[in-house]
Amino acid sequence: MATRTLAVLSAGLGQPSSTRLLADRLSAAAARLLEARGLSTTVEVVEVRDVARDLADHLVAGATTPALRRALETVQGADALVAVSPVFAASYSGLFKTFVDVVDRDSLRGVPVLLGATAGTQRHSLVVDHALRPLFSHLGALVVPTGVFAAPEDWAGGGGDPLAARADRAGAELADLVAARAPRRTVDPYDAAPDFAALLAGGR
Amino acid sequence: MQFGVFTVGDVTADPTTGRTPTEHERITAMVAIAKKAEEVGFDVFATGEHHNEPFVPSSPTTMLGFVAAQTERLLLSTSTTLITTNDPVKIAEDYAMLQHLAEGRVDLMMGRGNTGPVYPWFGKDIRDGIALAVENYALLRRLWTEHTVDWEGRFRTPLQSFTSTPRPLDDVPPFVWHGSIRSPEIAEQAAYYGDGFFANHIFWPKEHFVRLVDFYRRRYEHYGHGSADQAVVGLGGQVFVRKNSQDAVREFRPYFDNAPVYGHGPSLEEFTEGTPLTVGSPQEVIDKTLTFREHFGDYQRQLFLIDHAGLPLPVVLEQMELLGSEVLPTLRRELDAMRPAHVPEAPTHASRVAAARARAAGASTTTDATAGAVA
Repeated sequence: MATRTLAVLSAGLGQPSSTRLLADRLSAAAARLLEARGLSTTVEVVEVRDVARDLADHLVAGATTPALRRALETVQGADALVAVSPVFAASYSGLFKTFVDVVDRDSLRGVPVLLGATAGTQRHSLVVDHALRPLFSHLGALVVPTGVFAAPEDWAGGGGDPLAARADRAGAELADLVAARAPRRTVDPYDAAPDFAALLAGGR
Repeated sequence: MQFGVFTVGDVTADPTTGRTPTEHERITAMVAIAKKAEEVGFDVFATGEHHNEPFVPSSPTTMLGFVAAQTERLLLSTSTTLITTNDPVKIAEDYAMLQHLAEGRVDLMMGRGNTGPVYPWFGKDIRDGIALAVENYALLRRLWTEHTVDWEGRFRTPLQSFTSTPRPLDDVPPFVWHGSIRSPEIAEQAAYYGDGFFANHIFWPKEHFVRLVDFYRRRYEHYGHGSADQAVVGLGGQVFVRKNSQDAVREFRPYFDNAPVYGHGPSLEEFTEGTPLTVGSPQEVIDKTLTFREHFGDYQRQLFLIDHAGLPLPVVLEQMELLGSEVLPTLRRELDAMRPAHVPEAPTHASRVAAARARAAGASTTTDATAGAVA
């Protein structure tokens, strides 16, 4: 069975965190629906809190720790991404944005992405669409139509588990995109030599 | 193996006293450091080039010419010369002049420069950085190796029947290193020409630079300049050394913690773990420097950054004395003993002139090639 890698970017601050809980539900749904389309999935989770200090050091002092490099490579090299942030001040959290800021430009271009957010109140439910979606549009990612927002009452279940229904719909949308695409080939810049003859000839 | 010091020429307040040196003090301190380098047994002094505060070295050939007049053996170099924003014609002429005045004790390191506004100040666009580095350097080489040049390119006024003067000393231009921290294109350029490649790995983890240097070595071999392990590699590193480790760490910590480049970030211990920074005893400097060879293979030039972050001149000179007496002799002995016979030393003017004459002699036995014409 062909395999795809699914990176999970979770920016919850607590442990355990409801953000991670949502990220796990979304990635599980996506993995299950990929399997239904004949693709097995390797899920790799990046907890942004684990590299919070590394991110700050990277920004102010240019230092890149091995842990931060691994986290960036996981996100930059995946076939698809599930990205979930808690809502702070009516938007994604600063820590989530800091990680996204450090991701290589263009590494998410054309990559299928499922977005999620968690908050303490339902009134933030549009954050996925008015904050996260524009951010990932800017990065050129292929964001699936269904974003999944979870407020406290979503964890109470009841009423047929509406969160699960949304997760399945978003997961199916992500699985369709991933299944329709060839596996991601990440190009190691040191494997292939740049075309120096073209550079010398004045090519850009 | 060549050992040297390289300076960025930052004017930084001493965090322990709050005092900031004047530009004049900093410039004269850099000259004192260069002279000390020769006195204590370093081979190379290299100065950066910057056109923005708080850095003073905007005119490397003026400084290096002044140092050349007061030294006899020291190799004078740059770290780096901006191949993107400088006119390659002026680089060709300035460094050929310096080469004559210094009796050949000159090489230089090309870099793109990483300060955004410098590009527009000199009429260039940072987005053209790689293309500028490639075109300008190609022209620079032609100006140094061909007497009369007709040339047209994207970035500079065309040249017709132009001869750059003075011609390089003995018709052999200075050896060139290319410095880069992340661009395979620049490593490729160094390999293409058979020039040296310098990895200034002072900020980033070594794994990144190991891949970059390995790439350069592979491509050096690909272009037929020799085997990969014969490629000419230089490395950066920074040290603070005292007789014993605890004194070094205690004395250097306030400078590290407040350094404009890496202060207020990782701890001194974390930074030492992840980068070439060594703060400790002479033996610790020796041990860590020897690990560079394990990671990067046999290499030709090690440059140390010693005079940054507001360290006062007397403290810098003390570091250099300790390095000269207790570190360099051991490092030279150990590295030379480990280096296989087929791995060359860094090129010098004398070795390059000898190689050029050998080539010319070889050529003249089969053709009427003009003596002195050098590729």
